[in-house]
Amino acid sequence: MARRFVIIGASLAGATAAITLSEEGTEEALTLIGAEHEPPYERPPLSKAYLRGETPFDKALVRPAAFYAERGIETMFGTRVTRIDPSTRCVELEDRRRVPFDALLIATGGRNRPVSIPGADLEGIYGLRTVRDADRIRHEIVAGRRVVVVGMGFIGSEVAASLRQKGLHVVAIDHSKTPLFRVLGEAVGQTLADLHHAHGVLTVFEDTVAVFEGTGRVSCVVTKGGRRLECDFVVVGIGIEPAVEMLDGSGIVVDNGVVVDEHCETNVAGVYAAGDVANHYHPIFDRRIRVEHWHNAIKQGAAAARNMLGQRVVYDEIHWFWSDQYDANLQYAGFHTTWDQLVVRGRLDSGSYLACYVTDGRINAAVGLNRAKDIRRVMPLIKSRRAVDLEQLRDEGVDLRSLLASPMES
Amino acid sequence: MATEFVTAIKPGEIRPGAITAIDVRGTRVAVANVGGTYYAFDDTCTHEQCSLAEEGELAGTTVTCTCHGSEFDLRTGKVLAPPATVPVKVYPVQVAGDTLKIEV
Repeated sequence: MARRFVIIGASLAGATAAITLSEEGTEEALTLIGAEHEPPYERPPLSKAYLRGETPFDKALVRPAAFYAERGIETMFGTRVTRIDPSTRCVELEDRRRVPFDALLIATGGRNRPVSIPGADLEGIYGLRTVRDADRIRHEIVAGRRVVVVGMGFIGSEVAASLRQKGLHVVAIDHSKTPLFRVLGEAVGQTLADLHHAHGVLTVFEDTVAVFEGTGRVSCVVTKGGRRLECDFVVVGIGIEPAVEMLDGSGIVVDNGVVVDEHCETNVAGVYAAGDVANHYHPIFDRRIRVEHWHNAIKQGAAAARNMLGQRVVYDEIHWFWSDQYDANLQYAGFHTTWDQLVVRGRLDSGSYLACYVTDGRINAAVGLNRAKDIRRVMPLIKSRRAVDLEQLRDEGVDLRSLLASPMES
Repeated sequence: MATEFVTAIKPGEIRPGAITAIDVRGTRVAVANVGGTYYAFDDTCTHEQCSLAEEGELAGTTVTCTCHGSEFDLRTGKVLAPPATVPVKVYPVQVAGDTLKIEV
């Protein structure tokens, strides 16, 4: 009998795995199960071009809706998996039906963190994760209206930019000193604050929401610092949490997402995870990392599929993502949590720079503002784990590609 | 309108490994020099309109649009890596003496 592959999560990671399995597999039976009703789609446009009404939803689809049937992939969209039972090799659906598997991929992604602030249940307060969330926000977009954006991580920053571009009055609030402070630090974060200010966003930093006020519908955001921000609606972007509740009782180890090794495999043989939900061991950085970005969803989804087929591939991508805000292109590559030097090519206040997060002479990560080529060229340096000459790294006259060719003597 | 080869640029004006954008009859065309072989293609990335001459990085006959990572095969225009899904249009190239002609 053909091996049965089941993928839960009709996400970008899940869909990419399904595509890879259908291209590289032979006899396997493949089922793709997803809680959302739509065929798999990409989320980056939801905070940018799609939110602004510039591109149709179809353009965000990973593949045309008919693709899956054409490839012989059984789909169950709008279907939630409630339980995984490794002992009988079955997943259980909310209607109690059971779907057997020989190999399973968990690509359930995440959901928005619940907002535990008084008044959070008022109308006119939105999170953004799904296309339906984006549609609800789009209904609120009218030039001249006032929005408060809570949280200036990537989603909050992109939403603030998109809504400014649509002519709304935007006030953004974040508990840190700058946008993206936790990831990028104060110096880089300040350049992003400057970018938003230059486009007319009003910002409130180092303050948090105390209560959402309104009668039925939100009309004012009151901060702990005592500010009263009158508004027509609110978008909250305070991060996601991995969607793992169906793993309760399964014996599959969960710790900040589904724990997997460098082959995308969990502690249960034949059960894999990929995408936002997967806390994966990264051999280059020698630690576990969970990444909530497009590139990881694609690359890890494909890697997990190949491991399901028995190819034993090691997943060691240098993580990378972009965030377009206004006409600025922000990109990040690598992984860092701390750094002892921030080495900058160009000037942070110039609107075009590459900033490298360096520890012990090695570049762990880099962020570029309007430095797309530099980001591409710094990735091999990050992957090499070699110490680089920081003066040359800083020197705009030196081609980054030459730093890899001539490593530091040590 | 029938296509024809149009004199576009002197080959020597494009360094090996470089991409230059030129206007050919109102079309913005990128020309890449891959080890002495020239490839012509639409300068505009099919994903989100970045200029491939400005943001493109060459590796053999593959160009990566560094804005968002899309990759195209310069010989055919085929998408080799997303997020682009639509191929980039490629144009036939003729080198005659010190003149590079592109068919548009």
